Amino acid sequence: MDVTEQLQALKLKYKSVEVEKLIPVDFDLGNLVAYDTNSVDVEELRKNGDRYLHDIAREGTQLLLNQIFALPTESSPEGVYAKLPAGTTVVPRAKPIPKDKPLTRWEKFAKVKGIQKKKTSRKTYDESVQEYKPKWGYQGANNTADDWIKEVPDRADPMEDQYEKAREEKTARVTKNKTQERRNLQEAAATAAGQNPRDVRKAEVRKKILESKGATASMGRFDKQLKNEDAVKVKRTKRKFESATQDGAAEKEGVMNVVKKVLKGEDGKLINMTTAVKHVHQKGGMKVVDMDEGKKKKQKGRSKK
Amino acid sequence: MRPLTEEETKIFFEKLAKYIGRNIVHLIDRPDEPYCFRLQRDRVFYVSEAIMKRATSVSRDNLLTLGVCFGKFTKTLKFKLHITALEHLAQYAKYKVWVKPTGEMPFLYGNHILKAHLGRITEDTPEHQGVIIYSMGDVPLGFGVTARSTQDCRKLDPTTICVFHQADVGEYLRDEEHLT
Repeated sequence: MDVTEQLQALKLKYKSVEVEKLIPVDFDLGNLVAYDTNSVDVEELRKNGDRYLHDIAREGTQLLLNQIFALPTESSPEGVYAKLPAGTTVVPRAKPIPKDKPLTRWEKFAKVKGIQKKKTSRKTYDESVQEYKPKWGYQGANNTADDWIKEVPDRADPMEDQYEKAREEKTARVTKNKTQERRNLQEAAATAAGQNPRDVRKAEVRKKILESKGATASMGRFDKQLKNEDAVKVKRTKRKFESATQDGAAEKEGVMNVVKKVLKGEDGKLINMTTAVKHVHQKGGMKVVDMDEGKKKKQKGRSKK
Repeated sequence: MRPLTEEETKIFFEKLAKYIGRNIVHLIDRPDEPYCFRLQRDRVFYVSEAIMKRATSVSRDNLLTLGVCFGKFTKTLKFKLHITALEHLAQYAKYKVWVKPTGEMPFLYGNHILKAHLGRITEDTPEHQGVIIYSMGDVPLGFGVTARSTQDCRKLDPTTICVFHQADVGEYLRDEEHLT
C-alpha cells in the first residue's frame, strides 16, 4: 500500500505552517496581538473581499501561534503552558490620571526634613486584658475613659477629677486636629486659585475685624479708634417705610391690591363643589348642622321599643 | 407706629382670610369711618384714622396700644392672631362652631373641643379650616381650627378632638400680660 498519495492529499487539505510576508509582522505576545503592516491589495479585495480578508487573518494568526510555540514552556498536570512575556502595547486610559492631592503642612514639613512614614502594625498587645487591640480608635488601647481607676500624678491637685481632665484633653486634641484640617483645606484652595494662602487669610481676618467693629449700636461710629486703624465704613441700605400719616386713599388702594392677590389664592383652593351645588339648590345661605339631631331621634326610637 | 409693608400685609391677610375669607374687604372698606392697620412693637392694630393721627404725637417707646390689637408678628415674620381680634372676626365669620354649655368651661381653660361638646357646626366645613367658636347663646368665645370636616365629625367618638383650640376669651384673665 502506497501512503505517499494519502500524505500528499493530507498536505493539500491543510495550508502551510510557514507564512511569508513582505514586511515582517510585529507581535505583542503579552496581549496576544499581531500587527500586520503590509499594504492591502485593493484589486484582490474588491474581487473576492471576504475570502481575501479571511486569508490575511489566518496568516496573522498562524504567525502569532508560531511565535507562541517558540516561547519557553512549563508543564503541569493539566497540560503544557507557554510563558507569555509582559505586554508592550500602550492602551489609552478611559479617565484622566488623578491629580496629586495638595500636601498638608505636615507633609510639606516631612518632605523638607526627609521624614518618612514607617510601617507599624495597627494592633498592640494589651497586657491587662490579654488580647490584641487597635492602637487607637474604636475600642483602642489608648482609650483611657473606661479605666476603673486613675492615678493622681505627683504634685497634682488631689481634688482634681482625672477623668474630667482626660476628657478635656481629648476634646482639645480633636478640636486642634479639626482646625488644622480646615486650615489645610483653605490653604490648598488658595494655592489652587494661584494666591498666597497667607495673604488670603490676612484679607479674611481684616474683613472680619471690620465687620465686628461695625456690629455695635452706632455701627462703629463712636467706638474708640486705635492709631493707624482702618476706619469703619459700613454702608447698608436703611429700611424705608411709608409715613404713618400718609394719604388715606392711597394707602387703601395699596392694601386693596394686596387683598385681591390674597383672595385670588383663597378662591383658587377653596371651591368646595358640594357647597357650591347646595348653594344653588337651597338658594343661598350657609346651613348649620346640629350634632344632636340624629341622636335624639334614635333615643326616642329606643324608648318606644 | 408705621403702616405695614406689602409683605407684612400679605402675611397678615392670608391669616385673616382663613377665618373670614372675602370679608376682609369689609374691614378695609368701612361705610362709617376710615380705618387702617398700623404696626407698633410688632403688633398689628386696627384703628380709626382719626385716632391714629392723634396717636402720632406719642413717641414710639411710650405708645403701648391704640385701637384694637389683631395679633403680632413673630421674629420669623409669621402672624399670630390674638383673642382681642375676636370681635371683628366673629362679625364676619365664615365657618362657625357652637359649643354646648358643658363644653364652654373646658374650652375657656384652653382645651381643644371634643365631639361630646360640639353643639352645632356650619355645614360643609372642610378639615383644617379656621372657625369661630360660639356658645349656644351665640356669644363668641374664641377661635380655632377644625380637626375634621363636618361629615367626618358625625361618626366620631365623644372623646375625640373636633376643633383645635387657638384662642379663647379666658386669655383675658390667664394671659393678661401678653395681650397688651
